[in-house]
Amino acid sequence: MSRSDTSRRLGLWRHWPWRLWVRQVLALARYELGRALLRRRAAPVYVLIGLPILVGIGVVILPDPEMRESLVAAGRLFAGTFHFFFLRFVVFFGCAGLFINLFRGEILDRSLHYLLLAPIRREVLVVGKLAGGLAASVVLFVPTALVTMVCFHLPNGIGPTARYLLAGPGLGQALAYAAVVVLGCIGYGSIFLLAGLFFKNPMIPAGLFLAWELATPFMPKILKAISIIHYLVSLEPIPVDEGPVAILTSPVAPWLAVLALLAVSLGAVVLAGWRIRGLEISYTTE
Amino acid sequence: MSSPGTTQAPSTADGPGSRIVFRDISKFYGEVLGINRVNLDIGPGLTSLVGPNGSGKSTLMHLMTGLLQPTGGSIRVLGLDPGDVEALFRKLGYCTQYDSFPHGATGLGFLLTTLRLHGLEPADAEAAAWAALERVGLGDAAHRRIAGYSKGMRQRIKLAQAHCHDPQVLVLDEPLNGLDPMARSEMIGLMREWAVSGRHVIVSSHILHEVNAISDAVILIHGGSIMAEGEIRAVRGQITSHPIQVLVRCDRPSVVASRAFEMADVTEARILDGDEGLLVRTRDAEGFFRAMNRLVLDNELDIETVAPADEDVQAVYEYLIGGGAA
Repeated sequence: MSRSDTSRRLGLWRHWPWRLWVRQVLALARYELGRALLRRRAAPVYVLIGLPILVGIGVVILPDPEMRESLVAAGRLFAGTFHFFFLRFVVFFGCAGLFINLFRGEILDRSLHYLLLAPIRREVLVVGKLAGGLAASVVLFVPTALVTMVCFHLPNGIGPTARYLLAGPGLGQALAYAAVVVLGCIGYGSIFLLAGLFFKNPMIPAGLFLAWELATPFMPKILKAISIIHYLVSLEPIPVDEGPVAILTSPVAPWLAVLALLAVSLGAVVLAGWRIRGLEISYTTE
Repeated sequence: MSSPGTTQAPSTADGPGSRIVFRDISKFYGEVLGINRVNLDIGPGLTSLVGPNGSGKSTLMHLMTGLLQPTGGSIRVLGLDPGDVEALFRKLGYCTQYDSFPHGATGLGFLLTTLRLHGLEPADAEAAAWAALERVGLGDAAHRRIAGYSKGMRQRIKLAQAHCHDPQVLVLDEPLNGLDPMARSEMIGLMREWAVSGRHVIVSSHILHEVNAISDAVILIHGGSIMAEGEIRAVRGQITSHPIQVLVRCDRPSVVASRAFEMADVTEARILDGDEGLLVRTRDAEGFFRAMNRLVLDNELDIETVAPADEDVQAVYEYLIGGGAA
């Protein structure tokens, strides 16, 4: 690239209407947050986040004897629950419910055209919707994960649990779990947003995607690399045993895992933008 | 058929950048033809798209606004490609036929979201939203959910959404549907106001007497093809297969009838029952009007009316498309 090419591109970059785009993304995120949290279609997601909290309450009332051994043992049990239940089930299906509806829900409601009639760059539209879905999913799943984590440690007593989680190693673990949930929402959310745009019945590809994600422990490294869960596992603060037949591979470096998940999201924005440019509003065929 | 400027409204410029131009536009839905090689050139003013259900009116509007992509041909709206959404929708507002809204939205919230997506600061968006709401008479219902609005109110909030950013082009698909007579009159007044101010107002309707009352120009569409386009009078003048009807009301219609029969281009002259006057059919309306001037002077007739009786959309529609006019 010549120097004039570079300066031309930098000039273009500077002349892009960033402030306008930020305002549009914020307006869309706000719109989507309201839609995602306050409408009837969100009910299954609320049921989903209720399940780990119920498990947590159950653990407080009838704790596993192993939990009482130590906070470390409790942390190990939570790690397994987080990995196999929260991440693979609650976050996965929760993101499916929230992100598929970002576009598909509006097509079914016959209200997508209002957004397409706005003077908004299509990639900005996708980013705004993604940001709204992400805000909703983080608001729902991060507190749920943290509350469940607290519940798993409580059988060791309120005082030790508070010290462990606020001043001990539990704090770092809690932040790591929160980060994994956020990145899970980014990764799964991007895929489900795309599914809602490309498929009239996104539940079929979502089912296939779930099967792929469930099968990743038994895949060679090269196939693991084209999954979301592989990168999330690498960021979990406490390693989890995925069973005797799982193919063990060295974990991905955290920075690489984060980059990979952000790359998935970026790819989804580009693909969705391209898709929307060619999208035709003909609700009768939906 | 193509027409030059289609309005009396003031226009700042008359180049392609001030018009809406369709060139050889076709649209197929799978193997079904929606629009067939349409050529249009629409200037400022109020232009009505007229045709029966399924004729392609909404398809044309969707193509103009980029909600559908043409199978062939090109469209320019004020010189802009409909794919250039960032520029286009600053200049264009579209009130669609869809009677659906974002779930749970209030009238004010709906407009605020629209205006913030246009990039307005919150305070400016709020002011513009209230202005648009007041304009369509929904100020009192601003905080109510749209789901609880009557059909007429929903129609009005759609109109508010289409014009709240003060666009140069307004595309309105059946905008008067569901409105009561008072609201209809107000909306027609609003549309006329927009048209007179030099905007492009494109309205689809199948209610012909309304179209007749409000339009500067019409586009007649049937089966995906444009049957006629232009000022109503000019369109009527080009339909040579049906002689123009002229209604004459005067003190001695029999005198006019007898002279009319002597004119070569007059095919019929019939005195109507009950002092309704004389109905003349002629292939040369201008010639007949000139002859009438002489007749009035020579015979000292007391004339009440000499006016075309079928220079309206209803007649044009019937002649070009056939029965079934609303």
